[in-house]
Formats: sequence, structure tokens, C-alpha cells
Amino acid sequence: MFVSDFRKEFYEVVQSQRVLLFVASDVDALCACKILQALFQCDHVQYTLVPVSGWQELETAFLEHKEQFRYFILINCGANVDLLDILQPDEDAIFFVCDTHRPVNVVNVYNDAQIKLLIKQDDDLEVPAYDDIFRDEEDEEHSGSESDNGSEPSEKRTRLEEEIVAQTMKRRQRREWEARRRDILFDYEQYEYHGTSSAMVMFDLAWMMSKDLNDMLWWAIVGLTDQWVQDKITQMKYVTDVGILQRHVSRHNHRNEDEENTLSVDCTRISFEYDLRLALYQHWSLHDSLCNTCYTAARFKLWSVHGQKRLQEFLADVGLPLKQVKQKFQSMDISLKENLREMIEESANKFGMKDMRVQTFSIHFGFKHKFLASDVVFATMSLMESPEKDGSGTDNFIQALDSLSRSNLDKLYHGLELAKKQLRATQQTIASCLCTNLVISQGPFLYCSLMEGTPDIVLFSKPASLSLLSRHLLKSFVFSTKNRRCKLLPLVMAAPLSVEQGTVTVMGIPPETDSSDRKNFFGRAFEKAAEGTNSRTLHNHFDLSVIELKAEDRSKFLDALVSLLS
Amino acid sequence: MKALYEQNQSDVNEVKSGGRSDLIPTIKFRHCSLLRNRRCAVAYLYDRLLRIRALRWEYGSVLPNALRFHMSAEEMEWFNHYKKSLATYMRSLGGDEGLDITQDMKPPKSLYIEVRCLKDYGEFEVDDGTSVLLKKNSQHFLPRWKCEQLVRQGVLEHVLS
Repeated sequence: MFVSDFRKEFYEVVQSQRVLLFVASDVDALCACKILQALFQCDHVQYTLVPVSGWQELETAFLEHKEQFRYFILINCGANVDLLDILQPDEDAIFFVCDTHRPVNVVNVYNDAQIKLLIKQDDDLEVPAYDDIFRDEEDEEHSGSESDNGSEPSEKRTRLEEEIVAQTMKRRQRREWEARRRDILFDYEQYEYHGTSSAMVMFDLAWMMSKDLNDMLWWAIVGLTDQWVQDKITQMKYVTDVGILQRHVSRHNHRNEDEENTLSVDCTRISFEYDLRLALYQHWSLHDSLCNTCYTAARFKLWSVHGQKRLQEFLADVGLPLKQVKQKFQSMDISLKENLREMIEESANKFGMKDMRVQTFSIHFGFKHKFLASDVVFATMSLMESPEKDGSGTDNFIQALDSLSRSNLDKLYHGLELAKKQLRATQQTIASCLCTNLVISQGPFLYCSLMEGTPDIVLFSKPASLSLLSRHLLKSFVFSTKNRRCKLLPLVMAAPLSVEQGTVTVMGIPPETDSSDRKNFFGRAFEKAAEGTNSRTLHNHFDLSVIELKAEDRSKFLDALVSLLS
Repeated sequence: MKALYEQNQSDVNEVKSGGRSDLIPTIKFRHCSLLRNRRCAVAYLYDRLLRIRALRWEYGSVLPNALRFHMSAEEMEWFNHYKKSLATYMRSLGGDEGLDITQDMKPPKSLYIEVRCLKDYGEFEVDDGTSVLLKKNSQHFLPRWKCEQLVRQGVLEHVLS
């Protein structure tokens, strides 16, 4: 059931108890977790934090811990499947689920006792009505049990006839109801999408209790920006949520506008920026950033020689000398940096890039540390998905969690370096894929498969990095192809996951259109295709559109998918 | 050392009986080295005692079996004596119940601390009888006095943020 008063029904319930937190492995979940941890530490709530990266880990961790806790909080996992069925908990276990995955499974919505959803109901959920899906079983008991005890034979016969007629009517009604139910559920569960960021939900809770701080606000901002960077929400929703956060930012940081009472220069302050869309440009050189941001790289077509020339023309148009542009941003001439944003936006408009600037936030603390929200998102994402030596995903999770605190700046800078490597590798892979025509059209979708020996292939074995690569590849492909029909097709991407076990990760991306609503139908499509061909798949990720598949079953799986979608 | 002692003994007898006074420097030299060896052995044993005393502060009153295996019987006895005198002292402080001075080696800043588990430890009992499973890389927020022992042993790491 949906929790209406977060404070009374959630926070005050767990305040006197020990809770277990299951946190999924994405940046939004990390931010929500940090906010919740800060609240719990303020109120001395004893908790245990367990990172999980998939359904299997969630199940094992739950089995290990279930005797010791009664209250469980799940962050960014568990809303889109039948939780009680998967976890098989005891009668008195209570789950609080704060998840952005939609559609919310109907069992989770209508279970009043054990599952409480920390999701705002005005979030365009469109849950089907209770009576359409669930039906009491008592009606069915009547049909067989009316025993015809001895009475007049003629009366008995008419009564029997009436009973038979009533039974057939009931059966027909039931069949119709079941068919309607199947349709409703199919429509409801067909498309996967994402709702409001969990970090923002947690920040809202903190604000309701008047325990919100600037730090928590920054984590909420990073959580929202993560959703935008990974294309999980529509542009409109992003702008709406930015507006909500902007009000909080001005409430917390208004002392900077007042001339008399300004804070010292090195205090933490968050400010709203209408800044360039280039990834990490303040920690890199402008040239590198232009080459490695998907937005600019796709529109300039930087994988071709012609594209490189256009980039030079663009820089000349802005008025930036090449020598300046290729050195670190912080060492560029001040005179060039002064009106940089406006100059670049003007020239970008001439070159067909209308959305060069985007609404975002930045944080300043200390005398020289300034970060945009997207910088922190890229850094944390790379820390979490960096290939690790010992194979346990939890080390990376801990590193990434630590990097979000302001006292662990060295980890954040390390993350920025990893992010630069990741972005560079992404663009190089995209360039090679497009130049060697690895993206082929299979009919209802485009298909691209990364080979084993591709350089940096190990950087793309985790879902978020692979998803970034796939989406950027699709965007670049849309700009590179002349075939109008291909521009509207979705993409299925396959990358090798583990050489010893011979598995590949397969991921589905919805088609790239300007006004796309980011709804992904590949989750159900993959399930059906796997069932139909008996392929050995593992639906381990919380996002249902990412699966693991045995390499040998790849071709029959794809054939099934083609026939399913055409 | 025994060999040196026996050689010395035979030489002393020879000097006493045979009157060979030129052996006296040799005897003196051997005696000095015997004394030095004894000093080294005693220093080693004393260092062991100091370490055993530190173990009481690190591990509490019950030592893990691995450590007990390496201690001799006399050392165990010394340890028990030390434990007893420390306990008597602690009981004599702080009024009726006594004061546990092995807790809070540094001034505590907060009632509860955030700890991260560095290795798999297993189940750990908390105040209300229930237990927490300590697995690698899980983070917990627990009362300070319960975690202190484990933090000292290196199983948990105090997370400052």
C-alpha cells in the first residue's frame, strides 16, 4: 500500500527499531541512502546497510539477515516485482520500498499488511482498480455445494436446471473477467519507466521533519541529475523537479545574495546554474570535453574527418584559439572564460545545437573545489562500475558511497579521472562501431554486438556503463544514418560479460525521439523470447530490460525477439 | 648456556685442585657471557609479559584459543592474576558497581557510531538480545560500547564522514 504520511507511518515506526537497508547499485540509490543515513544518525536509529546489485544478491542477503530484523527498507529495488513471492518473508516482517522503477507491481500496491510503498501517489502511476484484478474466491464455492436433499422430483428437476443455468452464467462471466484482467495487466506492465528520484523523496521526508541540511539537498540534486544523465526521465519532468529543488536551494543558500551578511568564501554553497552541457569540462580541457560529450560528438559527427573539421570551425567561430582550448580548463585565459557560456551557446545555435545549456546546480566548498552536479554523477558512477580486482561488487559500492561525503575529496577526484577514461573509451568504441558498421538493422530493431577483443571491453560489463554506451551509440547512429526508418528503431546491445562462463549481457534501449517518454518495452519482450526458445537467461538486474544470456543461445533468442516484435 | 656452564665448572675445579690460575680469565669471560645470556632471556620473557598484559586490554578477559596455544602455563597463571587484580581495581572505583576502564580508550564523541565490516565475522549480539550478521562491506550503526572491542581488533572500521 502507498504510505500517505511519510513521517507518521514510516519514520516514527522505524525510529525505535533496528532496520535493515537494502540499497541498489546506482547513484540515485546511493544519494537516497546517504540522506537516510544522515537522518538515522541524527536520531540514533540502529541500522545495517547491505549493498545489493541484483535479485540474487537481494535474496541471499535477505535469507541471511531475516532472523535478526523485522523492518526492512529497500531503496531502488523491489517495487516492480511481487516482493512477497520472491523473498518469502515471515508474517511480521514489514517492508518499506522506495523505488523509482515503474510500473509498481499490483500485489505490492494492494497488500496492506506487509508492504509499504514510499512513493508519492501523484506520480502518474495509473494503477488498475482493485476489483479489476482481484476477486474473492468465495463465490465459486457455492456452485457445487448445493446438495439437493430429498423433495418432490419435479421441484428437484427445475431446481437442478436453474442451478445448471446459473453455473454456466457464472463460468462465462468468470472467463470474461479473466480475459479483461489479462488485458489490463498486460497494458499496465508492458512498458517500464522511472518515477521521481528516491533521493528527492528522502529529502522531502527530511524537509517535512525540518531536519534538512544543505548536504542533503546536494545529494537530492545529484540523485535527480543521475536520472537525467541516464535518460531515465523525460525532459519535462527534469525541468519540473529542478524547479522544486531550486526553491529549496534558494531557501538554504540565500545568504550569498545579501551583500552585508554573506558567508565566508569557503563555506559550502549550492547555486543554480544555467551551464553548458559538456561533461566534466571544468576538470578537463575544453577540447577533450567537446570530443567526449555525446551531445556534441554526435552532432559534429566526430568519428569522421569531416566532423573534426567542423569542430575546428566551431572553435574558430566561438573565438577560442586551439592552444587555449587544449589545455586544462582552469589554466585557460580569464578573458576567454568570462563570457564562455554565452559565446559557446551562440555559436552552437548556428551549428544546429539548440540545447547547449541546461539547468543544473553547482556546489562550492573550500577555496578551490567547485563541482557541477553532473560531474559528481559521472565520478560516482565510474567509481561504482570500475572493474575490480577481487570480483566483489561491494568494495566499489563502499568507495562510491564514501566519495559522496565532502570529507573524501580524494576519492571524488579519483572518480573524476576514472570518468574521463570511461567517457573516452565510450566515444572510441562508438567511433569504431560506426566506422565498421557494426550496428545492423534486424527489422523491428537495431542490433549491435561488441566482440571479445574490443579494447576497454572490461569497462562495459556493468549495466550502467553499458547503458550509457548503448544510448550514446543510438544517438550517434541516428545522426550518422541517412535511412529515415532506421532513425526510429530501438536498439538491442550485446556485450560479453564473463569469458569463463560464456555469458553476454543483453540490453534493450527504446528509440531515440525528441519527445520520447522513456518507456521501455524490452523487459517483457526479453522474458517472452527467453521462454519461447528455452534460452538460458538470467534476469538478475533490477531493470528488467537488462539480462544475461549464454552466448550459444544468442542467435535463437534474437530470432525469437524479431518474430515477437514484428 | 649449559655447555658454557659445564666448561666453567670443570675449569673451576681444575683451578681449585690443580692450582692453574691462568684459567681464571677464561672462567670470568664465560661467566660474563652466562650473565649476558641470562639477561637476554629474562628481557625476552619480560617483553612477553608486557604483551600479554596488553592483550587483556585489547581482547578482554577471554583470550582466543590461538593465543592461548602459544602461552606457557606460567604465563596463563600470570595472566589470570593480572586479570584478577585489574578486576579488583575496577570494582573499587566508581561507587557500587565499579567502572570498566577498558572501555572508551579515547574520549567518545557520540553515543552511536557508524562502523564498516572489514572481514566476515559472523553473528554479533546486540543489547536487546537480537544479533547482527557482520559480513564484509556491510555498514552498521551501533552503540559505541558494543563495537569498541571489534574496532580495536580490526574487524570493524569506524567510518568518519
